[in-house]
Amino acid sequence: MKLWNDFTNGIIKENPTLRLVLGTCPTLAVTTAVFNGIGMGIAATAVLIGSNLIISMINKIVPNEVRIPIYVVVIATFVTAVQMLIKAYSPALDSALGIFIPLIVVNCIILARAESFASKNPPLNSIMDGLGMGIGFTLALLIMSSIREILGAGTFLGRPIFGAGFEPALILILPPGGFLIFGLTIALVNKLTEKKA
Amino acid sequence: MRDYVRLTGVLLAVCVVAAALLGATNYITVDKIAEQAALANDQARRSVLSQAQEFTMLEGQEINELLAKTDYDSVREVYEAKVDGNIIGYAIKTSPKGYGGEIEVMVGVDMEGKVTRINVGNNNETPGLGQNATKPEFQAQFTSKNWNEGVSVIKSGTPKDNEIVAIAGATITSNAVAKGVNQALNLAKELSGN
Repeated sequence: MKLWNDFTNGIIKENPTLRLVLGTCPTLAVTTAVFNGIGMGIAATAVLIGSNLIISMINKIVPNEVRIPIYVVVIATFVTAVQMLIKAYSPALDSALGIFIPLIVVNCIILARAESFASKNPPLNSIMDGLGMGIGFTLALLIMSSIREILGAGTFLGRPIFGAGFEPALILILPPGGFLIFGLTIALVNKLTEKKA
Repeated sequence: MRDYVRLTGVLLAVCVVAAALLGATNYITVDKIAEQAALANDQARRSVLSQAQEFTMLEGQEINELLAKTDYDSVREVYEAKVDGNIIGYAIKTSPKGYGGEIEVMVGVDMEGKVTRINVGNNNETPGLGQNATKPEFQAQFTSKNWNEGVSVIKSGTPKDNEIVAIAGATITSNAVAKGVNQALNLAKELSGN
């Protein structure tokens, strides 16, 4: 039951993007198109699971005083190694997700979960936490990128969904639109979860 | 004092292990990555001049002096496209400066002085605006433009033979791509001796 709670925690209750407001920079940057949102979400989820696992395994030998630099080194090493392997053995995956991978190193969700969860919990729970947080991040990106792409470009996953007469609201795919939709999505999620509390 | 030594030691050990792991991964993957990059480059050249059997990169002092001219400041690499040893055209890689940095534009020019195709590659243009330069509809406009008249950009209306219509809301990007194509056309003209 504890494992299940660790898993679902990240999806709504502590959704990294919409509740903890972490990873704002990649969120605003990649949500201009649904494909980018999904790509970033999947890549971040994979790294999150891996880094949570490694950090929860080494937490016994890491001195408390230097834990943050060690986490940063572990995460950066993990991401860089994964990137080189993908580049070498899966060029198709690299051309689809390649640009998101370096962005993950600076994604503070990864460091936040390492610090606040993986360093205090056993490996299995940390994997579940990584998976749940990753799914929560992906869902948040999916919602925001759908709104932005449909209204801002008139397409979904690159395919036009309105007739030729549709005039897209360009502001939504520009940076200001990112902030607008981010704020409105947070407000909506707060409103929806308010009743349950 | 002992604490400092211990903490520094642990941090050093972690960094050494991390560096060793990365070094090993790099050692395993470096050749494979170079191979994939060469393959991708070859595909980009082939996409603009599909008839070619092989591409030879032009190197040496002569071409370097030519490319040093400001007229060709966006040109990065020049390839001769050959069939049975005869040159049938040039694949020219340019990177003109757009709205968000350099845009990779590969241009294919045949020996009659016409653009065969262009391929807009890596760029940091605004998604939904300048990024539309990678769409086939925009790139197709450049096909058959010739090295005598070049390419001009218009904002709206019906384009004449030597004109293309800019992407809505992305004039800078459109101009940049046109600049890359024009430099490639001029260079191909000069190289072919016409």
